[in-house]
Amino acid sequence: MATNIDLSTDFCGLRFKNPFLLSSSPVSNSAEMVERAFQAGWSGVVFKTLNSDRLPITHPSPRMHYVNYGGQRAIAYQNVEQISDRPLRHNLLEFLYLKKHYPDYPIIASIMGFFEDEWVYLAKACEDNGADLLELNFSCPHMCIEGSGHKVGQAFHLLERFTAAVKQAVSIPVMAKMTPNITDMTEPALYAKKGGADAISAINTVRGISEIGREDWVPRPNVFGVGAISGTSGPAVKPIGLNSIASMAKCRELGLPLSGMGGIETWVDALEYLLAGATLLQVTSGIMHYGYRIVEDMIEGLSDYMALKGIGRVSELIGKALPHLQETDHFDLNRQGIVQYNLDLCIGCGQCHIVCTDAAGQAVEWDGRRRRPRLIEDKCLSCMLCQAVCPVPGLITFKEMPPGWKRRETAVKDRSLEPELKHEPFTKEGPHECVA
Amino acid sequence: MNPAKHFKQMRKGLDLPQAIAEADRCLLCHDAPCSKGCPADTRPAEFIRKLRFRNITGAIRTIKENNILGGACGELCPTHRLCEKACSARFASLARPEGAERPIQIGKIQRFLIEHSWQIGFKPLQQVAPRAEKIAVVGSGPAGLSCAAELAKGGYPVTIFESRPEPGGVLRYGVVSYRFSLDFLRNELKDIEDLGVEFKCSHPIEGPAAAENLLKEGFRAVFLAPGLWEAEPLNPKAKSVTGVYSSTDYLCGLRDGRFQEMAGRIAGKTIAVIGGGSVAMDCVESAVKLGVRDVYLVYRRSYAQMPAEPDERIEAQEAGVHFLQLNQPVDYVTGRGRRLSGLKLVRTRLGEPDASGRRGPKPVKGSEWVLACDVVIEAIGNRAAADSPKWYPRVKLAGNNLIKVNPRTGRTSVKGIFAGGDIVRGPALVVQAVADGKTAARAIHHYLKA
Repeated sequence: MATNIDLSTDFCGLRFKNPFLLSSSPVSNSAEMVERAFQAGWSGVVFKTLNSDRLPITHPSPRMHYVNYGGQRAIAYQNVEQISDRPLRHNLLEFLYLKKHYPDYPIIASIMGFFEDEWVYLAKACEDNGADLLELNFSCPHMCIEGSGHKVGQAFHLLERFTAAVKQAVSIPVMAKMTPNITDMTEPALYAKKGGADAISAINTVRGISEIGREDWVPRPNVFGVGAISGTSGPAVKPIGLNSIASMAKCRELGLPLSGMGGIETWVDALEYLLAGATLLQVTSGIMHYGYRIVEDMIEGLSDYMALKGIGRVSELIGKALPHLQETDHFDLNRQGIVQYNLDLCIGCGQCHIVCTDAAGQAVEWDGRRRRPRLIEDKCLSCMLCQAVCPVPGLITFKEMPPGWKRRETAVKDRSLEPELKHEPFTKEGPHECVA
Repeated sequence: MNPAKHFKQMRKGLDLPQAIAEADRCLLCHDAPCSKGCPADTRPAEFIRKLRFRNITGAIRTIKENNILGGACGELCPTHRLCEKACSARFASLARPEGAERPIQIGKIQRFLIEHSWQIGFKPLQQVAPRAEKIAVVGSGPAGLSCAAELAKGGYPVTIFESRPEPGGVLRYGVVSYRFSLDFLRNELKDIEDLGVEFKCSHPIEGPAAAENLLKEGFRAVFLAPGLWEAEPLNPKAKSVTGVYSSTDYLCGLRDGRFQEMAGRIAGKTIAVIGGGSVAMDCVESAVKLGVRDVYLVYRRSYAQMPAEPDERIEAQEAGVHFLQLNQPVDYVTGRGRRLSGLKLVRTRLGEPDASGRRGPKPVKGSEWVLACDVVIEAIGNRAAADSPKWYPRVKLAGNNLIKVNPRTGRTSVKGIFAGGDIVRGPALVVQAVADGKTAARAIHHYLKA
C-alpha cells in the first residue's frame, strides 16, 4: 500500500485517521462491536441513536429484508430497525469505555428526541460522557412512534427549533442528519443551518418496499402479516445519496461540511462521495453485507489511487466533481458523436443489435453468417445502450464526429398517409422557460 | 456410508440460487449458438432466458415440451460438444480465439429445471382431445419413451412393450446408478405415465414376425426401438471363461437386483476393462467405487483416439484407474476350471489412419505379455440381437442387423412400421434417440392423418 498518502480528515475541528466511519445503525450498537470496527481500521463511529428511556423501544420482528438482483445478493436492504433499545445508561457507559481505550477515535453521538427538553437532555448526556460531536437524527423513515424521525425532517421549522435548542445546550459541534424522502434536501439543510448546525449528514434510508410476498402478498419484512414502507439502503441508493451530497455541496448559501453515506461499499464509491463534496463518509449496509473488514480495501484502494494520481491528501479530492456538475442546459449540443466498435474483440453475442433495434436508432444490423454487428454510423444516437450491455470492456467506445456531421432523421413508416394528416405548425412566440 | 448406498447416489445437481447465478452469466445472445447445437432441437437460449426473467415454470415448459427426457439429457449429454460448444460466454473473439471463460453449464441448468419441476409439482404438458388410433412402441429406452410421449401428447393411446422387468432401457440397465439414479428415472417415467402411456414390461416382442403382427392386433402404427443389447465379443470362443463379462452383463448386473452378487465379484480383485469408449469409462469407474484392488483400462490405441468424452477420461484417471494404452488383447489365460487368471496382451504402435479416421494399432512382434487379473470386462460395443431380423422379417435392414429408415421420418420399408434409436443408428447418444422418437412420432401422426 502507498505509504506517503495521508487519509486523515478534519471535520468540525475533529481529526479522523481516515474518512471512513460506522454510521448510526445496527453496526454501531455496542462498544464491543465498535471496538472491533476500530481495530479493523474504521476511524470513528456514529453510535446507534440514543433515546431518553422515556418511551420504550421495541423492535419489530423480523427487522430486515433485502433486494436480490439475479445472482447478486442484497443490492439493497430494507429495515424497520428502530433507534437503540438499550437503556441510556448502558449506551453512555459504552461511550466512556471507548473514550478510555480509543481516545484517538472520535465518537459521534446520534440522538433522537420528541420535544425540545428531551433533545437537550440527550445532547447534554452525550457531551458529558465524552461524545465529540452530535448527530441529530431527523431522518429515520420508519419509527414506530408517530411524529418522530423523518416526520421531523420533513417539518422544517421543527427541525430548525430542535437544532437550535441542542446547539444552545452544548459546546460540541452539531450535525443534522437529513432524510432523502423530500424533494430538495438543500431546503431543510438550510433550516438546520439557521438553527445553528455545524455540519450536515445524508442520506438516511429511502422509503421503499423491497419485496412483496408472492404467496402471502405481504410486503417484506413480514411482521406477522404486516409490512410497512420503510428504509431502503445499500448499493441501489447510491445515486440518490450522491445527488443529495452534490446538491448541498453546490449550494453556496449552505456552505457546511458534509458527511456522506448511502451505498458505500468500496473505495470507488467512497471516492465518488468525496468528489461530490462529502468530507466524512459513513457506512452501514456494506458492513451488514460483508462485515467490518471492507474498510481495509477502502483504505488501501483509496491510498493507491491517490498515489497513482499524485494526490497526497484526501482534502484535495473533496468536491472536485462539482465544477463539472451543471444543469443540463449547459450541455454543448453542437458537438455530437457516435459509438465505434473494435470487432477484433467481439464475441458475437448480438446484444448490441437487440438493444439498438428495440430501444435506440436501429443503427446496429446483424450479420447472421459471421455473427457480428454492423454499425450504420449516421443512425447511431450515441445513447451508449450497446456499450451498457456489451460484455467485452473496451469493445464499444464513444467518438466525437467532426463539426457539421448530421445524424439521419428517423424514417416515417408510411408517407402515403399524409393526405389524412391533421396538423398545423405551432407559431406562437414564447419564453425559454416554464411560466405559469 | 454404506458402499451400496454411496454407489447408488447420484451426484447433486444445481440448486435454485446456483442455477440463477449460472443463468446470470448467460449473455442472452441474439441468435444463440446453443439453440442450434442440440440434436433434439432443445432451445437452451429460451429456457435460460426464461429462468433469468424468473419465468421458471415457462423454462420448465420449454424443456419438457421439447424433450420428455430433459432431465436425463441434462445429466448425460456430452454438452461440451453440443449446446455448450459454441457458447458466446466462452468469450472467444478474433483477438482471443481460445476464449477466456467456460461456457454456460447448460446441461446442469436443464437438469435443475426438470428436478425443480418435480420439487414444485409443476406439470407443463397437456394432452389434446383423445384419439382412437392405438400405437405400439417396442422398447422403453430413450427413443421409445420419446416417441410414446410425443404421441401421447397428441392424444394417441400408446402402449410400450418392454422385454425387461422395468422400463427405461439403457437409462435403467446401461448407466451406472451414481451417474443416473433410479429415483431420477422414476420421476422421468412418471411424467410419461401421466400422459397416459401404458407400459407392458416383461413383455418381449421377439417371436417370428412378432413386431409386424402388432399391426394385426389393433395397433395402427408401430415404432421399433429395441436398442442394441448383445455384446460384440472380443473372441467368440472365449465365452466359456469364468470371470469374463460383457459390459452389458456387468452394468445390467449392477442395476437389476444382482448388485450384491456383482459387487462381490469385483471388490478386492484386479480387473481389466477392454475398450476406450464411454461405456468402458463407466465400467472402470464403477469398479473403483466397488472397491477393486486395481483396475486397468486396456486400449489398443492411444489416449487421443479414445472415443470417451474428455471429462470421462479425466475422471477415470482421477479415480485411480490405470490406463494401459497401446496394448491389444490377444487371448485369455485361464487356470483350473477355465477360471480367468490373466489377459494376454500385445503391445501396439500407431500406424496410418484406418477406416474410422483414427490412427490404427499395429501389433509389435514378440511383445506379448500377460496382465494378471481376476476379471475382464469387455466394453467394445453392442450390436443388435442376432435373431432380431426374425421379429420383423419384412423390414429392410442395413448392415449389422440395423434397421434402414428414412432419416427424416423414421419410416421403415414396411407401411406403418417406424424405427429409431440405436437399432437404426448403431451406438449413439440418448439425445439422438430422443430426437429419433420425436421425428417418428411426427411422421406417425402424418401417416395416420393421411
